[in-house]
Amino acid sequence: MSKSLLYLLFSIYATATIGYLLHLIWRRPIIAKGALALIAVGVFLQTGLLAHRWWLAGYLPVTNLFATLFFFSWALALIYLYFELRYRIRATGLFVMLLNLLLLGGALPRDTKISALIPALDTPLFSLHIIFSFIGYAFFAMAFSVGALYLCQSRLHSNRLPDLQTLRRINEEAIFLGFSLFTLCMIAGSIWAHIAWGHWFSWNIKSVWSVLVWMFYAGMCHAKFIRRWQGGVYAWLSIAGFGVVLFTYLGIGLLLESNHPLE
Amino acid sequence: MTNNERKSLSLLHRLWLLGCSLKLAIALASAATLLIMGGSLVMHFNPAIFAGMEKDIMARWLPWAWSQAPLLVAWVPLSGICVLLFAINTLCCLIDWLLKIKARWRKTGEYLIHAGFILLSIAFLWGNISGFRSGPHRIFQGEHLAIPNMTGLSLRLEEFTPQLEPSGRPLDMLNQVSLWDNGTQVAEALVRMNHPLIYNGLVILPTSFGQELDGFKFHMPGRGVIELRTGSRLSISSETNIILHKMLPDARLNDQGRVIQTGSRLNNPAMLISLQGPSGKLWEGWYFLRSPLPRQLREAGIALRPTEPVFKTFSLLTINRDPADKMAAVGAGCITLGVFFALFSFYRKRAQGDRPEV
Ligand code: HEM
Repeated sequence: MSKSLLYLLFSIYATATIGYLLHLIWRRPIIAKGALALIAVGVFLQTGLLAHRWWLAGYLPVTNLFATLFFFSWALALIYLYFELRYRIRATGLFVMLLNLLLLGGALPRDTKISALIPALDTPLFSLHIIFSFIGYAFFAMAFSVGALYLCQSRLHSNRLPDLQTLRRINEEAIFLGFSLFTLCMIAGSIWAHIAWGHWFSWNIKSVWSVLVWMFYAGMCHAKFIRRWQGGVYAWLSIAGFGVVLFTYLGIGLLLESNHPLE
Repeated sequence: MTNNERKSLSLLHRLWLLGCSLKLAIALASAATLLIMGGSLVMHFNPAIFAGMEKDIMARWLPWAWSQAPLLVAWVPLSGICVLLFAINTLCCLIDWLLKIKARWRKTGEYLIHAGFILLSIAFLWGNISGFRSGPHRIFQGEHLAIPNMTGLSLRLEEFTPQLEPSGRPLDMLNQVSLWDNGTQVAEALVRMNHPLIYNGLVILPTSFGQELDGFKFHMPGRGVIELRTGSRLSISSETNIILHKMLPDARLNDQGRVIQTGSRLNNPAMLISLQGPSGKLWEGWYFLRSPLPRQLREAGIALRPTEPVFKTFSLLTINRDPADKMAAVGAGCITLGVFFALFSFYRKRAQGDRPEV
């Protein structure tokens, strides 16, 4: 993949983020519309790049840190588009796209080379496991951004930000959708573990933390029913949950050594 | 109804309410999460204790690990108890719903997810109590291997082909195997990476492969290069033969004058050979390949110069059994289906303002 296209993509998302910031200051709908259009262009470009890499590799290339960061960023931008088009949550874009810039920024300096697929990963279960996992993570990232925005809004009560009720709805929806996809990721992973290692649950640290992520968000699917937790506590839980996600995705690989094929 | 009966009934009722409590579920799930979080780090920094956790079922690993370091291991049974109580809690909730909720079809997704989780928990427990994990087992082409803990069942490796990259790095292992139950073939498969043989809870999968010294090539004046493998016979003349009985890659003579194996790497190879004449065995003894040919062979007019070793490839297979694998599969199926249903019902419930609040 050409690095210049990657930089172009990064600058499109960065301009959109600045657009959202300006919109927050000046409240011109045209600026928000421009930012949204830029994100749509970015997603279009990123989808093309991803499809091109897939075509070149012959398999979904998500086998190293560059590729997973790139895929994560794509999923997050796409999910943001879905929520934006559904709820018109403009200023939320600032929080989500900032996170997206961090993900894409993390991918930029890394090697974009596609290596041959090793037979251990040569199964559709691997692709399903990864696709569901990162789309799930992207929903959790969305929930994290919305949770952070909820906490800001509960202090500021600004009419420039979406109202608390909408933020709460989006947060609950993102958690539920993320949990559903992450569940499918866990199922695909378990079947894969069964045929690759001969047991469907593995005690390696990455698998254990994936179960923790799943348990945490299963819990969050219920926490919204507890009246006193709705809103604020839920927002904090979304933030904490994303901490668990980040540790599972990056922390284990960077801080501890693990034998998981993705690091 | 007597007072005592009323009391015990209300106690049962209170227990039932506790079983159905969402708050209890959150407390149990949080306790399990925190214990496993801490435990995963203990696990990571104590590989000597926890490395075996993966290689055996819980029922065998846990007592051993407990005897080694109870404090380091305590989080495993504690979190196990929390998850088990949580599964019971989920079961109570599920039963409670089935009894109470009216528009049941709308909750099909949730029912399936909860039922699936209960099935998975039971399957995990069952598999870790009465299953087994074994291997890697060394097996050569054409050999039979008795399946551990399952009398009458054996595995035969029909053909083994390792696949290597041009650089020599192992890529895959192709094991054509057949499974035999008391002399009758019950299954066969090409077992390779991500393609195990699954039969009645058994999972047979490739782990690795290796090579064992099987013989040597020699230069023989007038005959060129000849190969001698374990069990093979080399005819020297119309009347005399050499038979290779045993081959050791690294051997030495001990104080009692007996030949013993000292290593598995090719270092000081030795072979046990016999010289056969028309009337039977003429001589049998060890030939250390770094030393000159034994006198008895030289006197028989034999001249051999070792040139290179000959290896035989073996496959390493892992054989596990999980008697609950079908239950786990049904659980996973329920959850998968449940997720799809729940995705639809989530928005429906939202539209109708249906939110159970605690
Ligand atoms: C790992 C275990 C569990 C998983 C994966 C799980 C998953 C789910 C999911 C995905 C939903 C749907 C949420 C929504 O519609 O927004 C749900 C709903 C629910 N769950 Fe669970 N759950 C688990 C355990 C429990 C337990 C232990 C209880 C009871 C104490 C429980 C009680 C409920 C209730 C009351 C609902 C709401 C159903 C409704 O909409 O009427 N769950 N669960």
